[in-house]
Amino acid sequence: MEKIKNFIKMITFPELIKGLSVTTKYLFKKKVTEEYPDFKPHIPYRAKGKLHVQIDTCISCRLCEKACPEWCIKVFPPPKEQMKTDKRPQEFYINQEHCLHCSLCVDACPTGSIHHSYEFELVVTNFKELLFNKETLPYNQLLKQYKWNYIENVPVRPRTTTPLEQKENTK
Amino acid sequence: MNSQILINYIAFPLIKIAILLAAVFTVVAYIVLVERRLLGFFQSRLGPNRVGPLGLIQPVADGLKLFLKEDLIPTNANPFIFKIAPIFSFFPPFVGFAVLTFALPLIMPSGKMHQFAVADVDLGILLILSLSSLGIFGIILAGWSSGSKYPLFGSLRSASQMLAYEIPLTLSVISVIMMAGSFRLSDIVTAQQTYKFYFIIPGIVAFFVYLISVVAETNRTPFDLPEGESEIIGFHTEYSGMRFAFFFMAEYANVVLICMLTPALFLGGYDIPFLNDLELYKTHPYLVNVLGFLSYAAKSTLFAYFYIWIRATFPRYRYDQLLKVGWSVLFPISLLNLFLVALIKLFLMK
Ligand code: SF4
Ligand code: SF4
Repeated sequence: MEKIKNFIKMITFPELIKGLSVTTKYLFKKKVTEEYPDFKPHIPYRAKGKLHVQIDTCISCRLCEKACPEWCIKVFPPPKEQMKTDKRPQEFYINQEHCLHCSLCVDACPTGSIHHSYEFELVVTNFKELLFNKETLPYNQLLKQYKWNYIENVPVRPRTTTPLEQKENTK
Repeated sequence: MNSQILINYIAFPLIKIAILLAAVFTVVAYIVLVERRLLGFFQSRLGPNRVGPLGLIQPVADGLKLFLKEDLIPTNANPFIFKIAPIFSFFPPFVGFAVLTFALPLIMPSGKMHQFAVADVDLGILLILSLSSLGIFGIILAGWSSGSKYPLFGSLRSASQMLAYEIPLTLSVISVIMMAGSFRLSDIVTAQQTYKFYFIIPGIVAFFVYLISVVAETNRTPFDLPEGESEIIGFHTEYSGMRFAFFFMAEYANVVLICMLTPALFLGGYDIPFLNDLELYKTHPYLVNVLGFLSYAAKSTLFAYFYIWIRATFPRYRYDQLLKVGWSVLFPISLLNLFLVALIKLFLMK
């Protein structure tokens, strides 16, 4: 009996048929491809996109500039007399061309002014387009749209919580 | 008189050849696209769908890309043979299409019959088989003339593989020829129509042996050891641009040729299932022509799908396993089957 069973198994190739049926199942399954330019892809909650700077709350402390391993941030603080009343930087350059998206600057900032956004489309035809200044930083363009009022709920990535903060949150 | 000869023997065949070649080139171009898309579907992807609606202009884009690429010849290569090798493997499958018959003969208003084939020669299958073994020359020459050892290894692998699988292939085809009693492809189909059963029924073993060895003959996955697109360095490693496209097209033309040959041998070719063709042909010849052609196309498409399906499913054989299967499994089985079919032919098919 066993021999007959084995013989039938040998000539009908159940493994091959099993394999073929698996591929057929996949033929009709829903496809996982995201057709990117037509449909915006799903961006994870903590994705690190282009950097945004909220110039209003920046205090020109230049900590982000020091923290950056790629030296792609350049902050120009206002003159000393002005620093007493208005600490907003005169000029703020971010060179996205060699930004690593490492978010060290984000962690260093004491006021939370610099943060990642969810914008990831950084393809340009000219490198100069990747050098953003105070005017061209995307957040400021938004501000311009809103007539320079403070905006809440800007679509930016939240700051990374440090282990210490996490401990406090769970308490 | 002279003009009659000119029309019958030169102009008419030339028109037929032009139509056939155009059709074959289109099919070969589009089977690549269909394969890529289907493989995508099998792997939960979408496949190329960007160029044109549903990606239908993709073959044109691919062709243009290959055409515009630089045509390199390695310094160690033998330039003359290197240049001529792609042609050796390119032309046999395209010649093979000439002997295929696509429908019952067309009856002209003048009462003359026209075959739906470029040349319905009486040794049609033999021609296709010998042409397919001619294709090995292209591969060996390409590997040898590249002046590099890996293409040479690839071509030698390919040669011994083709040798191993050509014998079971030929033996299983011979069993069909024995049942039909003719080498002519249209005769084989007519025999199936008059017997009123397809040769797959008495020749089921031959059919499976044929299917396996044909996959090996065309160097497709489970048996794509001569040139594994993903991993194995094969005979056309040194080729680029248009010359590579020749090899590529030859491979797919072989697939199309086999997909059209298999139904003719085992599934009744242009016979319409569940209908008595030859009876109907006497009253409605044109209808039978059209329906027969459609059924032939449908059967061929089925086989093309089957090929892609196999490619999407099975992993590659190891080389010693491949040769073992060829020589020590398929060869004896096909020999035994030949004997069996001879008995069937002698006692059951009168
Ligand atoms: S994300 Fe990293 S590399 Fe980019 S600006 Fe900030 S610190 Fe520099
Ligand atoms: S660390 Fe923050 S507050 Fe300081 S300069 Fe940079 S963005 Fe402004």
